[in-house]
Amino acid sequence: MRRIIAVVRKEFRQIRRTKAYIGIIFIAPFMQLLIMGSAITNEVKHIPSAVLDLDRSPHSREVIEAFKAVNLFDYLGEVQSRLEATAEMDDGRLKLVLVIPRHFERDLSRGIRPGIQVLIDGVDGNSAGITLGYINSVLAKVQHDWALHTAGQGAASINLIPRMLYNPNLDSTLNFVPGLIGILLVMMTTMLTALNIVREKEIGTLEQLMVTPLEGWQLIIGKIIPFTVLGFLQFTIGVLAARIIFAIPLRGSLPLLYAMVGLFFLSTMGLGIFVSTITQTQQQAMFVAYFIIIFMLLLSGFFVPIQNMPIFVQYLTLINPLRYFINVLREIYLKATPFRYLWREAAAMGGIGLTLLIGAALRFHKRLG
Amino acid sequence: MKSSIPAIVGKEIVHILRDKQSLFMVLTMPVLMLLLYGYAITLDMQRINIMVVDNSGTPQSRELIRHVSSTDFFRISKVDSGIHDINTLFQSRMAQCVLFIPGDYAESIISGRQADLQLVIDASDPNAASFIQNYMGKVTAEEMIRRNGTEAGLFSIEPRIFYNPDMRSAPFFIPGLIALILILISALLTSIAIVREKESGTMEQLLVSPVKPSQIIIGKVLPYTLLGFVDGLIILVLGSLLFDVPIQGSFLLVACMMLIYVVTGLSLGILVSTISQSQSVAMLAAITLTILPSMLMSGFIFPISSMPRAFQYFSRIVPATYFIEIIRGIVLKGNGIAQIYRQAAVLLGIDIFLITVSIRAFRIRLE
Amino acid sequence: MIEGKNMEERSAVDVDGLTRRFGDFIAVNGISFQVAKGEIFGFLGANGAGKTTTIRMLCGLLSPTGGSGRVAGFDISSEYEKIKERIGYMSQKFSLYEDLTVMENIEFYGGIYGLGRNEVIERSRELFAIIGLNEHADQLAASLPMGWKQRMALCASLLHDPDIIFLDEPTSGVDPVARRSFWLLIYQLAETGKTIFVTTHYMDEAEYCNRLAIMKRGEIIELSGPQELKKRYGVGSMQEVFLEAVREKKI
Repeated sequence: MRRIIAVVRKEFRQIRRTKAYIGIIFIAPFMQLLIMGSAITNEVKHIPSAVLDLDRSPHSREVIEAFKAVNLFDYLGEVQSRLEATAEMDDGRLKLVLVIPRHFERDLSRGIRPGIQVLIDGVDGNSAGITLGYINSVLAKVQHDWALHTAGQGAASINLIPRMLYNPNLDSTLNFVPGLIGILLVMMTTMLTALNIVREKEIGTLEQLMVTPLEGWQLIIGKIIPFTVLGFLQFTIGVLAARIIFAIPLRGSLPLLYAMVGLFFLSTMGLGIFVSTITQTQQQAMFVAYFIIIFMLLLSGFFVPIQNMPIFVQYLTLINPLRYFINVLREIYLKATPFRYLWREAAAMGGIGLTLLIGAALRFHKRLG
Repeated sequence: MKSSIPAIVGKEIVHILRDKQSLFMVLTMPVLMLLLYGYAITLDMQRINIMVVDNSGTPQSRELIRHVSSTDFFRISKVDSGIHDINTLFQSRMAQCVLFIPGDYAESIISGRQADLQLVIDASDPNAASFIQNYMGKVTAEEMIRRNGTEAGLFSIEPRIFYNPDMRSAPFFIPGLIALILILISALLTSIAIVREKESGTMEQLLVSPVKPSQIIIGKVLPYTLLGFVDGLIILVLGSLLFDVPIQGSFLLVACMMLIYVVTGLSLGILVSTISQSQSVAMLAAITLTILPSMLMSGFIFPISSMPRAFQYFSRIVPATYFIEIIRGIVLKGNGIAQIYRQAAVLLGIDIFLITVSIRAFRIRLE
Repeated sequence: MIEGKNMEERSAVDVDGLTRRFGDFIAVNGISFQVAKGEIFGFLGANGAGKTTTIRMLCGLLSPTGGSGRVAGFDISSEYEKIKERIGYMSQKFSLYEDLTVMENIEFYGGIYGLGRNEVIERSRELFAIIGLNEHADQLAASLPMGWKQRMALCASLLHDPDIIFLDEPTSGVDPVARRSFWLLIYQLAETGKTIFVTTHYMDEAEYCNRLAIMKRGEIIELSGPQELKKRYGVGSMQEVFLEAVREKKI
């Protein structure tokens, strides 16, 4: 016990002396959270669009007005020809063009079902799909009104009333900010723990420690404690920033949240420490940690929902603690989900953490060979 | 005096070839990343779990339900006559939305009145939420038209998707992924270069010699540029073949642009290491400065046009942003130099700026 | 040598046919020797002769590939953790935490060896008095000149009052004056009954040892006291002894 305390004290003293830590732990992540939390959204907005009206009839005008009213589209005006439309899209100046064919109104009244062409820049397939969805929705409404009008009284109409739970304004920050906090935490806890231990390897103090009666697991615990404290500090700043800057209130249980964070740290630090047992220099440790972190970020469900990934990749994400953590954060923050539905994630993070830590402790023989 | 750049370059190349471990990693990592993330990252929508509460229980309501389940999009997880607690349903993630069919649905439909269907959506993923809303809107509109049987006043919507007719996500992501991998590798390459120098202490030797700082910096950047460039070509060809993303434009043009971009990544890394005090802080900074902005603010996944204006300016200083526009333009749209010269110029400008500042910072270090 | 169970208790270090291989390379090739309690025992040899490997095996850091050894009465292959409680070790690099002060380093190692706060304070006071670190107590280790770093490392290895101390090249990179005073310290420690095991490649320091072993390419080519060796080789300094010994014995 005394030995662990000695290690903890030393670590805290060293941390206090390293000025760079203040920047790395508090300022940089905070700034990143600020910038990226405010910036990123995968909502589809400000789509530069135009219309090619080859009919110039009252009905085509009606369609155009409905189109212009959608404020997700930045209506830039009319184009005069298909050639112009295509050139503008090639250049990237237009992403969406509605083409109303000649004889639109005439064909409409004759029941011939004319087709409105929707030219979409499909480079971003996802945005294209969403855009198409909106167009469908807008034009379906126009359709609805016309159909009612034509059919007169006695026409049935179905009215869909949507109600958005947890996020009525469809604000994507609510979705992203918790995830961002998780991402920033990963980078700090995993990398710093790995570097810390490898540095001791490099300067030779680890060898010195091996000659003392200090046990491997005592060293590990002694190292984890200070970084966990720092991690909680960083997390708290994130929570405060979420509340104050992004107005994201915590709807769920605060103790549960922190308990989950603790489990998460178990896994990230276990990872960091394990990395330190398989590398010899700080540079190597950084490489390995680097690639692991990229893996954790991209396959976490933050950028792309996991259920969209191919099956074998989904299996891979099962060993990614960040995946569970981001889930947990979102659930507790937005839906106030209780532990009952989160035990799987908790078990996963805890299990991963313990496995890695035990693995690291085993590798820590106090022998060089 | 004859330039000593060839000598410096030659030495670096020997170093690189000797360090088999790093070389191996630098050549295989990008391929692995391409394979893994290329397959993993797809936004092709999967089925949404929907629960239907049918308070009507009539042939009409059942027809509506059939219509919903026949779509590719919705998967009906349960049909019930009531629901206790929507929260629990959403928390347990058994369904993402609930459709309520009112008791008087059939009567309204038959007698030509308005039937109100309530759709409660778990909006914690706002994008999915609006998708669900729009799609269901389309379904109910079609159901309505089917019921009323009118053909007049109907038009159809014919989507023409440019550049990516199947709206696959691969064409969108693969070029972006290539850009991301390249900048990540470049950051790594620089750290190899700098660390090697510092560890062997040869930096001191160089500084004492008559070699000019500019020659040192350029001599360092060159061989790693080559390495990064080779990496880029490998993943470009691989990505194009494996994920079926044919290069519409000129391959040569892409290659040239790639060269410029690799230099950007490298010079950024070198600048950071030159002005940093401690080497590990330098590496940490270089890494955190490249990963997040390149992933989040470059248009890789999150559209820049959707960002608030102020932050769109921020993405304008992320080099990856420009390269992604360039590579998507050339690969998917078949753009030529005429369409992308602006972005190329910016990248070139960034390169020159970074290298110049590095040289200056290096000189200051000497004094 | 003298037989009997007594020997095991009398010798601090007892090594028999100790061997260590690294793949095809034989770093230590079947060496045998004993170190009596209270002796200052020197291990001489050029770089790469096998000195550090030997010391690491004796400290329990490295497992032998052949042979056996006992330190402080414990077997180095099977009881190495017990050995660690009873020995002090000073590595070649003086492993100190550069960003901590002298006192903070001492407190750390004190805690590691299980000493309570008061014990640490007392011990450090004693040791500082002998070693002379008092004014430097609150200085960062990084700012100390080599000679003082060395003293600090020695201090850290003595906190728990071990009976045997292993010093691996303790004076490398230290100026001659500091080296001299360091060895005075060693004598003082030996006088209190501690056994000192030193490796060095400074031949003049060999004169200070009670007995020494000269290692060449993993083998001990001479094992005796400095005066004896000088007489035997008919030379005036250990330096010349070494040059002769290494030249003569062709392995």
